[in-house]
Amino acid sequence: MGLLSKKDAALIKDPLFDNNPVTIQVLGICSALAITAELEASIVMAIAVLFVLGIGNVLISLMRNIIPSKIRIIVQLVVVATLVIIVDLVLKAYAYELSKTLSVFVGLIITNCIIMGRFEAFALANSPWQSFLDGIGNAAGYGIILVMVGFFRELLGAGTLLGIPVLGDPIEKTGLYALGYENNGFMLLAPMALITLGIIIWAQRSRNKALIED
Amino acid sequence: MEKRTDKNSYTILFAIGMVIVVGSLLAFAAAGFKDRIDENKRIEKQLNILYAMGVNENEGNDMSFVSKDKVGGEFSKYITKQLIIQGDEITEDENAYLLDLKKEHNLAKDPKHERRLPLLIGEKEGVIYYIAPIRGKGLWDAIWAYVAMDKDMVILGAFFDHKGETAGLGANINQRFFMDDFIGEHLMDSNGAFKGVNVSKSNADPKNIDKTDNEVDAIAGATITGNGVAAMIKSELKLYVSYFKNLKN
Amino acid sequence: MEHIELFLKSIFIDNMVFATFLGMCSYLAVSKKVSTAVGLGAAVIFVLTITVPLNWLLDQYILQPGALSWLGEEYAAYDLSFLSFILFIATIATMVQLVEIVVEKFLPSLYNSLGIFLPLIAVNCAILGGSLFMQSREIPTLGLSTVYGIGSGIGFFLAILTIAAIREKIRYSNVPPALRGLGITFIITGLMAIGFMSFGGMLTGDDEEAKEEKTAQVNTVIKNTNKELANNTKVNE
Repeated sequence: MGLLSKKDAALIKDPLFDNNPVTIQVLGICSALAITAELEASIVMAIAVLFVLGIGNVLISLMRNIIPSKIRIIVQLVVVATLVIIVDLVLKAYAYELSKTLSVFVGLIITNCIIMGRFEAFALANSPWQSFLDGIGNAAGYGIILVMVGFFRELLGAGTLLGIPVLGDPIEKTGLYALGYENNGFMLLAPMALITLGIIIWAQRSRNKALIED
Repeated sequence: MEKRTDKNSYTILFAIGMVIVVGSLLAFAAAGFKDRIDENKRIEKQLNILYAMGVNENEGNDMSFVSKDKVGGEFSKYITKQLIIQGDEITEDENAYLLDLKKEHNLAKDPKHERRLPLLIGEKEGVIYYIAPIRGKGLWDAIWAYVAMDKDMVILGAFFDHKGETAGLGANINQRFFMDDFIGEHLMDSNGAFKGVNVSKSNADPKNIDKTDNEVDAIAGATITGNGVAAMIKSELKLYVSYFKNLKN
Repeated sequence: MEHIELFLKSIFIDNMVFATFLGMCSYLAVSKKVSTAVGLGAAVIFVLTITVPLNWLLDQYILQPGALSWLGEEYAAYDLSFLSFILFIATIATMVQLVEIVVEKFLPSLYNSLGIFLPLIAVNCAILGGSLFMQSREIPTLGLSTVYGIGSGIGFFLAILTIAAIREKIRYSNVPPALRGLGITFIITGLMAIGFMSFGGMLTGDDEEAKEEKTAQVNTVIKNTNKELANNTKVNE
């Protein structure tokens, strides 16, 4: 990363693993649970958040000196909401199919506390460029977790990935199913997203002992 | 020292400024895109209606609509009549399929108001299709459907869609494995009483061979969405029963 | 009756945390101690109770297609529903900021322990979720929407209180080090959610239909027995 100074690179790299927004900062859990039954939805959501957080962080950072502290929450929310609504309207007008896939997430993006959390904790106090990197880094860290959970839930729950059967056909009993394997439909239910997430955290903290809470 | 941005007057001015900027931005965007969005919605409705009639480009297990460029022509080719039913009064209306069902629901809360029901009549290869657009509630938000029936209220085709059901679970009501199950299902029981179609989990007939059991197989994990679909079919299509009874006489 | 049903439903069946998984972030982050959990829970009840009915009014009289008709016939064609997100959020954010100011002034210790999560109530998806559900489920009256707001709030309160109590106790258990804290909380929440799924069987409607069917069955049974009786008497004759 010749373009970025060491400090800037850390802004992107840290949130990917050691300071991951989902598993360490506990932000953005709701959406991680709501949409990870399918890998595709997880990827779409990850990209949408990347986009909104990147731009939103820059906007908030640009405005950081003129936002009155008393109404900063409202201002932050209005910025996200406006951004998301305009994107939604543009998509509806010019890419209707895509907007149908995304429309489910519009509400979830606005209320995703990752976005507010980064506005509040970072963009309000840092320069636009750094805020942009921070936004991208955190959104990517969020995306990684989402894709991981989505991968396991779709694979174990429905035996497919991105809608393509990978373990054989459960009705015709081919592939793994011929050996008596069954899909665990329970994985598709939201409680299992929590438990999957718990196990991911377990794995992550077993590797990096410094993250263990006392 | 108090910062300039902490002053009440500044806060109020900022808030007013923000409201004006954001408000006009949004209003501008909404108004500017309205025509295109409405057009997209209209095309989508036509595609869905044609899909329910079996006018689609499904191949094997894939699911696809007719192409967007052709939809206008196909729609006027296959849909022969559009009706709005209000009590005993039946009027023709070439935009019946655009009727806002949510609004009709709300209006119908007033007991003096008789519900207006859209019904489309189409013809394909000599078969007459009666297509009813209906709307109901799923787990999170609205669900809706276009159900094509014959004159005995046997389902010839159905298209379901939703606004925001859970991805991977309830959202699958717009997938073929769910929608195709409805084809051939009878809405009436053998005595001619309206029964609807239940979306049932304890289904003794998971391959859906028995078409007169008023049941299709549910999607595992999507109980509430499934119940919503069944409730929507039951309560909304019931309203059409008298029309179909008159049709026979 | 309708009110009680909705109230119980919003606490148990549609529990914000366990059934719809909204409000998770603050639920997880502020549930280390029972006392802070109670504080946050109370704040959520308060904010939901106010914002849901407020947003209901906004929805009914400003946002819905045709809602502006009270201004006169010529306004009936307007559809401002694209503004609903932003207006709902503005109401919520205003209320949250108000709560923040009040808490900071009168309960500074609670304010310190809630930290970043007080402003985050504004994006606590449970709060916006409450308003959006109110809109999408088309709750018909102001009274019902208030009940819905209170019920959802209590549901959240119940959830955060139970998990906080469990977390206080689990400190004395021998949890694998890497699972301590967040990991085990996730898993416990998952298990609790599975437990709450069983409430789904409560209050599942269509009783009327079932009753009709039952009476129909009973009638046929009675008819049949009558027939049998008649046959019997014939034989006896």
